[in-house]
Amino acid sequence: MKAVAFAAVTSLVLLFVWERVDIVRIGYHIERLKTQKVLLERERDELRVKLSGLTAPERIARLASDKLGMMQPEKGQVVVINIEPETPVNPVVAEGEMRIAKNIVTRRAR
Amino acid sequence: MAAMPFQGRRMVVACGLVVAFILVIVRLVNLQVMQAAELTVKADRQHQKNVTLEGARGTIYDRNSKVLAMNMEVPSVFGVPTSLGNPGLTARNLSPILHVKATEIEKKLKQEKHFVWLARKLEPEQGRRLERLSLDGVGVVMEGRRFYPKGPLLSHVLGFAGMDDRGLEGVELRYEQYLRGEKRAVVLQRDALGRAVFPKGLNEEGAAAGHSLTLTVDEVVQYIAEKELDEAVSRSNAKSGTIIVMNPRTGGVLAMAVSPRFDPNAVAALAPGRWRNRALTDTYEPGSTMKTVIAAAALEEKVMTPGSMLYGENGQLSIANTVIHDHEKTGWMTFAQMIQKSSNIGAAKVGMALGEWRVFDYLREFGFGDKTGIDLPGETSGLLRGPRQWGKRSLASISMGQEIGVTPLQMVTAVSAIANGGVLMKPYVVSEIRNAKGQLVAQTMPQAKRRIISADTARTLTTLLEGVVTNGTGGKAAIPGYRVAGKTGTAQKVDPRTGAYSSTLLVGSFLGYVPAEDPRLAMIVVIDEPRGEGWGGVVAAPVFRRVGEQVLNYLGVAVDEPVKLAMAGFES
Repeated sequence: MKAVAFAAVTSLVLLFVWERVDIVRIGYHIERLKTQKVLLERERDELRVKLSGLTAPERIARLASDKLGMMQPEKGQVVVINIEPETPVNPVVAEGEMRIAKNIVTRRAR
Repeated sequence: MAAMPFQGRRMVVACGLVVAFILVIVRLVNLQVMQAAELTVKADRQHQKNVTLEGARGTIYDRNSKVLAMNMEVPSVFGVPTSLGNPGLTARNLSPILHVKATEIEKKLKQEKHFVWLARKLEPEQGRRLERLSLDGVGVVMEGRRFYPKGPLLSHVLGFAGMDDRGLEGVELRYEQYLRGEKRAVVLQRDALGRAVFPKGLNEEGAAAGHSLTLTVDEVVQYIAEKELDEAVSRSNAKSGTIIVMNPRTGGVLAMAVSPRFDPNAVAALAPGRWRNRALTDTYEPGSTMKTVIAAAALEEKVMTPGSMLYGENGQLSIANTVIHDHEKTGWMTFAQMIQKSSNIGAAKVGMALGEWRVFDYLREFGFGDKTGIDLPGETSGLLRGPRQWGKRSLASISMGQEIGVTPLQMVTAVSAIANGGVLMKPYVVSEIRNAKGQLVAQTMPQAKRRIISADTARTLTTLLEGVVTNGTGGKAAIPGYRVAGKTGTAQKVDPRTGAYSSTLLVGSFLGYVPAEDPRLAMIVVIDEPRGEGWGGVVAAPVFRRVGEQVLNYLGVAVDEPVKLAMAGFES
C-alpha cells in the first residue's frame, strides 16, 4: 500500500516537473517563431517598398519609351466612347456560331 | 580514550543535523521574510526588462491603394568604445559598409564613452553586410525609417517625417496623431542569458502600428501633372509652377503638382523652404482668371446677360488718373465677347456696374480672403481688403484680377463651384483613415460649404467660358473630342526693385474644367515668371490641354463632341 502511495506521489511530482520543463521549452520555441515572424515581416516590408518603387509611373513610362520604344498617342488617336447597349448582351454563343473579337460568324460560313 | 557508545554518537549526529536545520531555517526566514521586499526587487530587476515598444508609422496610399509612403525597419549601428581593442581596425572594416571615412569613425570610437552612434537608419543591405562582419564592440539595432518609394512624386503634399519618425510637413504633419504608431511599455521576462522567455511575454502583443491614410490623389494623374508641369517650367525657363486637378463634384484633390520638386527621401540636403507647398501657401495676383468670378456675380445679379453690350473705349480707359489698357483696341462688344477676348476695360465696367459691395460679397462667397480649409498645413488666406480700404481704382483693378492676392487652391476651388452647378465645396486630400487591422476609423465625405450661384447661372457661364477656348484667348487649351470651359490669365508681378508692376515679371495661368457639360476635372495651371512670352494662353493653356487629354483618357471619360479620328496606319 505504501509503495503504491509512494509511486503515485512520485509520478505526480515528475508530471509537475515535466510540465514546467515543457512549458519553458515551448516558451523558447514561441520566442524563436516570434523572431522569425519579425524577420519575415521585415522582408515583406522591404519587398513592398521595392515593388512600390518599381511600379512608379515615372519608371514605367521611362522604360516604355526607352526600352520598348513606346510613345504617347498623338492627338485624336485615342477616343473614349460610351457604349450603352439597348438590349442586354447575351453572353451565350448560339450553337454553330463562334465569337471572334466583336464579330460573330457562323461556323458553316467558314 | 574510551570510544563513545553508539547511542552517544547518534545523539551528536542528531544534534548536528538539528543545528544545521535550524541554521537553514533561520537563513530562510532571513531571506524569505526579513529581506523579502529588497530581494524581490533585485530579482525582478535581473529577470525582467522594461521595454518601450513603438508601432510602425502608418502607411499612406493613393486612391487606388498604391503605396506612397511607408515605414520599414532598418539597421542603425552603434559602437561601444570602452570595449574596443583596436578602434582603427574596426573603423577601417566599417568604412566601406557605412560609406563614411575611416578617420571619422575612428574619431568616434576613440571617445571615452560607453555608447556612440556610428550611423543611423541605413539600407537593409548594409545591415546584412554588418551582420556577416560580426565585429566586437559594434552593435546593430533596428529602427523604423520612412520610405517614399515613388521619390519626388507628390512630395509637396506628402511632406516628410524626420529622423525621430515625427511628421514635419504636409500630410505627414497634418495627420501626425493618426499616423504615429502606438507607444507601449511592456515587461519582458528574461532567462540567465538575457533571452525573452515564456510565459510572461506570451500574451504581450507588439505595439499597434499607426493608422493608414488613403488619399484622394491618383498617382497616375499626379505623375501626368508633374511631368507636364516640369516640362512647361523648363521650356519657359520659369521660376516655378503649380497644377491642381480637382474633382469638382466632391472637392477631392486628384493631383497637386508643384515645380521644382524635391525628394522627401533626402530632405537633409535641401534648403529650407524648398518643400513649401506653393499651391496653398503662395499668393499671387490672378489677373484675368478673376474675370470668371466677376462674370458669375454679374450674371447671378442679372447685371449682365451674355448679349449685354459694353463699350471697349478703343483700348484705353482713364480711371482715377490712371489708364487701363486692353491688348486690342475694341469698340462695342457683348458681355460674352468681353469674356472671350479677356477685355480689362469690359471687366472694369462690369465690376463698376455691380458696385464695390456686391463685388466684395461675391469674392467672399467664392472663398477669397479665407482659407479653403483643406486638410494640409500652411494654407494662407490670400489678400482681400474690405471696400472701405479700397482706393478709387480698386474696384476696376480687382475686377480684372489685380489688388487681390489668391492661392492656386482658392482659384481651383472657386472654378469647381461653377463647374458643379454653383456649390462651393471644401477641398480635401485624405479620404479614409484605417487602423492597423484595416478597420475604417474615419471617412471624409464631400462637404458643400454653400451655394453661391444658381445652376442656371453656372450653365450660362459655362457656355461663355467654352467660348474662351473655341473663339478666344484660350484656344490652346482645346482638347479634341471634349468641350472645355476655361479662362486664361496673365498677371503682372510687382518688381521688388521699383515697387511698380513689371512688364517682364508675369504669372501666366489657365483655369478651367472639362467636359464642360458634365465636368470630371477642374484644373488650374500657374506658371510663375516664364521667360519670353508669358501670356496665360501661351504658357499655361497648352499644359492644361496636355494634362487634360491624358487624364481624361486614363479615367476613361467618354468624348462629348465629334472627334476627327487619327488612326495609326490608316489613311483618312
